Amino acid sequence: METVANLWLGLETALSFWNLAYCMIGVLLGTAIGVLPGLGPVATIAMLLPVTFGLPPVSALIMLAGIYYGAQYGGSTTAILVNLPGESSSVVTALDGYQMARQGKAGKALATAAIGSFFAGTVATILLAIFAPPLADLALKFGPAEYFSLMVLGLVASIVLAHGSLLHAFGMIILGLILGLIGTDVNSGMTRFTFDLPQMADGIGFVIVAMGVFGLGEIIGNLENESTRTVMLKSVTGLMPTRQDLKRIAAPVLRGTALGSMLGILPGGGAMLASFAAYTLEKKVSRHPEQFGKGAIEGVAGPESANNAGAQTSFIPMLTLGIPSNPVMALMIGAMIMQGIQPGPSVMTEQPVLFWGLIVSMWIGNLFLLVLNLPLIGLWVRMISVPYHFLYPAILVFCAIGVFSLNNATFDVYLMAIFGFLGYVFRKLDCEPAPMLLGFILGPMMEEHLRRAMLISKGDATVFLSRPISATMLVIALILLVTVLAPAVRRKREEAFQEEG
Amino acid sequence: MKALKLLSAVVLSAAVYAPSYAAGYPEKPVTVIVPFPAGGASDTTARVTTQKMQESLGQPIVVENKPGANGSLGAGQVAQAKPDGYTLMVASIGVYAINPALYKSLPYDPTKNFDLLTVAVRTPNVLVANPSFPANNVQELVAYLKKNPEKVTFASSGAGSSDHLTAALFWQKTGTTGVHVPYKGGAPAITDLIGGHADVSFQNLGAVSNHIKAGKLKLLAITSDKRNQSFPDAPTLKEAGVEGVEVYSWQAIAAPKGLPADVKGKLEQSLTAALNSPDVKTKFNDIGFEVVANTSGQFSEFLNQEISRWKTVVETGKITADQ
Amino acid sequence: MRSQLLQKKDLWAGVLYIAFGTAAFWIGRDYPMGTSGRMGAGYFPTVLSVVLVLIGCLSVARSFLRDGDAVGAIAWKPLGLIVGATALFGLLLQTAGLIVALLGLVLLSAVASQHFRLDLKASIGLVLLVGFCVLVFVRGLGVPLPLFGSWFGE
Repeated sequence: METVANLWLGLETALSFWNLAYCMIGVLLGTAIGVLPGLGPVATIAMLLPVTFGLPPVSALIMLAGIYYGAQYGGSTTAILVNLPGESSSVVTALDGYQMARQGKAGKALATAAIGSFFAGTVATILLAIFAPPLADLALKFGPAEYFSLMVLGLVASIVLAHGSLLHAFGMIILGLILGLIGTDVNSGMTRFTFDLPQMADGIGFVIVAMGVFGLGEIIGNLENESTRTVMLKSVTGLMPTRQDLKRIAAPVLRGTALGSMLGILPGGGAMLASFAAYTLEKKVSRHPEQFGKGAIEGVAGPESANNAGAQTSFIPMLTLGIPSNPVMALMIGAMIMQGIQPGPSVMTEQPVLFWGLIVSMWIGNLFLLVLNLPLIGLWVRMISVPYHFLYPAILVFCAIGVFSLNNATFDVYLMAIFGFLGYVFRKLDCEPAPMLLGFILGPMMEEHLRRAMLISKGDATVFLSRPISATMLVIALILLVTVLAPAVRRKREEAFQEEG
Repeated sequence: MKALKLLSAVVLSAAVYAPSYAAGYPEKPVTVIVPFPAGGASDTTARVTTQKMQESLGQPIVVENKPGANGSLGAGQVAQAKPDGYTLMVASIGVYAINPALYKSLPYDPTKNFDLLTVAVRTPNVLVANPSFPANNVQELVAYLKKNPEKVTFASSGAGSSDHLTAALFWQKTGTTGVHVPYKGGAPAITDLIGGHADVSFQNLGAVSNHIKAGKLKLLAITSDKRNQSFPDAPTLKEAGVEGVEVYSWQAIAAPKGLPADVKGKLEQSLTAALNSPDVKTKFNDIGFEVVANTSGQFSEFLNQEISRWKTVVETGKITADQ
Repeated sequence: MRSQLLQKKDLWAGVLYIAFGTAAFWIGRDYPMGTSGRMGAGYFPTVLSVVLVLIGCLSVARSFLRDGDAVGAIAWKPLGLIVGATALFGLLLQTAGLIVALLGLVLLSAVASQHFRLDLKASIGLVLLVGFCVLVFVRGLGVPLPLFGSWFGE
């Protein structure tokens, strides 16, 4: 019953007037910056850090956390409305969400995202409250070998993301992997493919590639067909999901929540994979996989739930171990330190008000998000009915400023322009950018963990099979690969037979 | 096009309101460049210090993160900035002392391009191990390393980081070898250390003190000259029989070369006052930092020592970071 | 519909892969390979670039063997204007400052649309957008963007 007492303590803390207000401010601000393409939670939290010095620690963290998951949520809105994924997690949301928007179902897609996120957030918060310490121990079981196998699994899964030619899916993944290697090699400290430009020594930011390839590429592509095609195909129909839609998304939301909660715990990039994994899973179990990439509502529900669940559970290693699982968590730790709190295992026992107050506030924040965003859907949908020739220069402006704010560097704006050019070329050649982006994220992590695992095992490659978690994931990857390749091979053979006959 | 003309007229007329110069520094916000991402040690140092300095300078101080290339991107920018006292830098031992030892070409020269103001804070490194690691003290570790050459994994926060070079120095002074396993920053290295995937590591005291207290990491020794009051049982490396591995990670403040004397004086005064104020001191102590606040002369002498020391370590250990 | 070989998407995609793969291989030729137990910085890039070239060859071969879609006309005007406007923004940001850079970005990119007219409505929209950016990004969030760049004194 200790949990109940703790939750009560958290509830008391989170429901105080000022903490409620800061929670609200946080999610509002988060949603706003999430909606603006390019401007991410990292930049915003970094800029707002000084403001939080004056607040009590609990309020400061409640607000910062609100910004984080609010931004995750807002990012999906932009991904759905204008095909601009500002976070790695919203790349897959853009795949089907944007197609739904083009079919006039933007409202439905947004509502699905909101409902899925809220459900996932609720479940993940409960997990956080009850199982945080044991789950944190699970995170520690993941060493380099396990992470490498997880990345392999992610890579195989990314093939499923593509809905066109398998060959091009492979090609784009490899291209993404190579682009991801740009920058300083973690294992040797050597810089690679940087053309001796110090600005590229830390690699190319994900947002830059995503904004260029998706954002600019989409704008150029839309302008190309301006006279023959309107950007939004149909007038907007049905803002809210119907009872039938809700039935369709129930299972994907549950599966996404489970997957996201699990992956979010892993500090080495697990949360990033959550939405990709959920999309792959949905496409695999779906009875109509051909609808994916063309506006399948499951393709929004699953990844969005996974994304939000992962965002919540990624607090577990931070709060229980003092280990940041992503740059935002690193900033939160910085904020705690500046408030005089040493993050680490002792936070739970020494700062129960902070720990439980934060957890309960996350659930309240999710509730705020739902209440806030459902009525906003109508407004968003109206926004994209603004004539496109007014909309796209504004999108461009936000992309440019957002990309600049990542490192406060104009160089990144030029890079975005180059990726915009490439994005258009890819479109013309039917090369899908989503698998490339996943390769881009996974490439450096995969190499890093592979080489580290081999270094620690002194060159013994059997570690990947002798460690149970790693072996399990490799087996799943193999099964997945076979199920992806088998239909293609079978089709080839059938084609051959037909030609003979 | 009429609208455009009108607009450009408005814009241009607004531009005429450029600020004029006057004697009383500072009369506009001061920018502090941190060549690392927000949330790290340099960033924390900058924010805690400048928050206090604002009170005495009477102008807001803006912390601007300019990460990239081990800090040399931001440092290069500061080196070229106008020495008017409106651009300062807070950076680490890596930027000031290790990069020059490690890289053939840098966009800055720490001894020539900066007016060194003060070393703000320092923190000792600690030698920590996973609790299940067989050695329980430094002597046992050295014996174990000698018996198992090239076997024990040393996690570090990156190739060419201060903890990597500390490990290299340790090997050189004890005549041992180990496997250097670099990570992307300190946090993942500590995670793998706690998880038992790596064996030992030199880490900043502040970053691991809670893990030591919680029993997740085993503290073997501390690299400072005296024992630390938070961990009085941990011997210094010198006490444990390893000479010459007295290492601190430090954060220091500098400005572009050529500050006007009055501006420099005002800055030094404000810095010393801020760093020595009790609440700032407590804040730093809480996270394992010790306030140094030395003079610019002491800083420049110290810097020369540090650069030559790490050069030797890099050359002896044949450590390379840009091939 | 059978399209000309030189028009085929598969061919050009293949060429693109081969170009990227070869470039990566060439740039990375001096990176140390190491051994599989202790991989050097060159191990991964070399393997990946070879695989990419192979995939490129497959794609080219497929374009010879199979029918495929044609690339179609390239929209040079929007391509050049959008990419150019973005680059121009970067150029103008430090020299002329945010306000001029924004005007350049918006006006140049807007020309790419055939519906673009700089009438009253568009001008008001432009002023509002610039004002929004100044208020939200520079004043509100403190992004270090110079409102007026080095051309205007400073």
